[in-house]
Amino acid sequence: MQTATIKFTKNDLAKYPFLKEAADYVKTLELKIEDLASPEFSQILERAKERVEEAILYTIVSRKLQNEEVEILSFPTATMLAAATENSFIKRRYALAEAKQTYNDLKFEPRAKILAIAENFQWKILTVNAEEAAAPYEFKLHFTNYLKNTTSLRERKWKLVNRPLTHGNVYLTKNETARLLSEEVRRHIEKRLEIKELPKLPQKITETAETLKSLTIEKIGKAEIEGIPKTVNKEAFPPCITALYEAASKGRHISHIARFTLTTFLVNIGMPTENIVDLFRASSDFNERLTRYQVEHIAGERGSRTRYKPPKCQTLQTHGVCTNPDTQCKEKTHHPLVYYRKRIRDLK
Amino acid sequence: MSSLTFTHEMFRKYYAEDFPLNTSVPFIEKREFGFALFENQMVRHKSFRSIEEVKFFLQSFVPCDVYFSCAYYENPTAEMERKNWLGADLIFDIDADHIPTPCERIHDRWVCGNCGFVGRGVMPERCPLCSGEKLSAETWPCEVCLEAAKIEAIKLLDVLQDDFGFSKSELRVFFSGHRGYHVHVECEAVKALDSMARKEIVDYVSGLGLETSLPHVKERSFKKRFPLETVKSFSFGWSRRLTDGLQTFLSSVKEDDLRKLGFRKDAVNVIMQRKDGILRDLYNSGMVHTVRGVGLKTWEKLVKHIATLQSVKIDTVVTTDVHRLIRMPETLNSKTGFKKADVQISAIDDFDPFRDAIAFRKGMVKVRVLDVPKFRIGDETFGPYRDRKVELPTAAALLLVCKGRAEVVENV
Ligand code: SF4
Ligand SMILES: [Zn+2]
Ligand SMILES: [Zn+2]
Repeated sequence: MQTATIKFTKNDLAKYPFLKEAADYVKTLELKIEDLASPEFSQILERAKERVEEAILYTIVSRKLQNEEVEILSFPTATMLAAATENSFIKRRYALAEAKQTYNDLKFEPRAKILAIAENFQWKILTVNAEEAAAPYEFKLHFTNYLKNTTSLRERKWKLVNRPLTHGNVYLTKNETARLLSEEVRRHIEKRLEIKELPKLPQKITETAETLKSLTIEKIGKAEIEGIPKTVNKEAFPPCITALYEAASKGRHISHIARFTLTTFLVNIGMPTENIVDLFRASSDFNERLTRYQVEHIAGERGSRTRYKPPKCQTLQTHGVCTNPDTQCKEKTHHPLVYYRKRIRDLK
Repeated sequence: MSSLTFTHEMFRKYYAEDFPLNTSVPFIEKREFGFALFENQMVRHKSFRSIEEVKFFLQSFVPCDVYFSCAYYENPTAEMERKNWLGADLIFDIDADHIPTPCERIHDRWVCGNCGFVGRGVMPERCPLCSGEKLSAETWPCEVCLEAAKIEAIKLLDVLQDDFGFSKSELRVFFSGHRGYHVHVECEAVKALDSMARKEIVDYVSGLGLETSLPHVKERSFKKRFPLETVKSFSFGWSRRLTDGLQTFLSSVKEDDLRKLGFRKDAVNVIMQRKDGILRDLYNSGMVHTVRGVGLKTWEKLVKHIATLQSVKIDTVVTTDVHRLIRMPETLNSKTGFKKADVQISAIDDFDPFRDAIAFRKGMVKVRVLDVPKFRIGDETFGPYRDRKVELPTAAALLLVCKGRAEVVENV
């Protein structure tokens, strides 16, 4: 077993500017938001802008380690810029891009460094002993940390059931550890970007944020942030929904989760509440008031005011709602809505 | 005395006299409580500061079923959106309804809510008499079914301890009071897991998505896709479960079993002939070597079958729901009058629901039984009865009344 005793160098902090030590370092400089707009710091703001641009254009943020100070300081600044855009696409993209670069760097770090960074995120992680003869595995990670960072990864190899798991620990290669750590970084940055209320920002910052937004629309196009067409096309339903729709319209009993899936799906593709309520009319235990209430609740017209999404395919598989997946399902689908959108496009 | 009055009175007596005050409910003040009342009402969003307060409520209101949330909340009494979820225990529900047993055809009935027609075994979609669709199933807590559920619970405990590393003190096992077992994992590590993470745990436990393409087959042309295969010395988790399962299966396999799996005749013959060799390899190296005459497809089918045998049958929805209300330990189940009883993990083999979950040990009650299979309470067996008046010990009478298969006879 090895525990982290490593001390991060300034170079490390420039490479991994999301580390607590990097934040502490920035704190010692006692900067204020207003300072960023001043000429002495123009270099930092420039680099910060570049970080977000690179993220938008290439989904990766290069590292410029010659000037460590600028590199470290430009990270929190870039985070602020991304937040200032108040554009969820840019925010997600920025977090992802930083994480990608992190992965590229981490892969080549010695074990001790990886361990130190992992512990920075409070991971319960150990290195594998030689006696365990567990090559190619080098790390053991507690399953809770593992799950937090794999539930959004879609490849089958990340499914816990396909991993060596014992005494609560998942065995990982160095590369895999780097991958999961970068996922942690992505989530960490996304969380930082979640801020509900922005502080009052200097004009220069808001202007830069605007520039970044225009760049996004120009390069990425509206398509990525598109909504779903409003007319409902049953032919584009994935197999699970087709089956549920059938069952519901015939008045057959469907399980709670199946009902939830069907309703959320229909709400999300823009079927009017009225029509959805009608669909359930055939059911033997139909209760108009209750059904309407449920549909409106799911549509976000009541209560929490959030519109619910149907569960992912994986979840539907777990609960036995995914029946007869077809070839399109198997190829790329991870979500019934994604299936539907793609199918709509193909049908055009 | 009507049946309902009888049940109500027994429940009242239990909560007033026997409900144990040492029932452990960690962080009781952070949980939501819910109650089903005899008047067909559900009361939710209650909260208590101590077990004494709970007991006081129980004996005053005498609910027919008592639940608490697996979740911890900042404001347990607020409506759902304002409760502020702080975390939740990890819960597993094993119910005989999810396990196929040979006897369910014999003891399970269904009733048409429209015309009252009663049928047996698997419930059809429509009533054969009136074509009504409001059918309801009436199951029975039978020994065979409950034993099957217990075996699943034991399998689950093995996974939770060996693979997930939970210690005995973090696990609590209960008989549900009806047709199954509940396993509660109560520890800091699991509290914050979200629904997606819990879903992965469900998939692990039930083997969903398990890559069964030949973990242990060694031949150059076989693709090495199973992650566990890369480390030979690893004998744990699903790798061990598949190896062990294959060993157990093969050592007692009959030709018939293989044919039922849909294997071709020549493949069946080869497996039967080479069985000992295959077992020896498994034993020595934990691997299966290629056997002439048994193709890749056959192996995969076999491994898939083993995976099904080794998977734990749980109610997936319960585990992934981080707000779930679950039955409170030591309270009565209105479907039977039995307790949700604590099961010692080290003594689970000896746990006997028909002895250890009995809440009433005194008195006799006269009932008219409609229809009931043979059953046992403690060391005594009763029935089968059909349209008969009998005098039964309280627990037995209560069971039949709760299951709707008997009526209390007036003026005993
Ligand atoms: S793969 Fe997804 S979209 Fe396809 S049937 Fe299954 S749940 Fe539905
Ligand atoms: Zn009928
Ligand atoms: Zn049975």
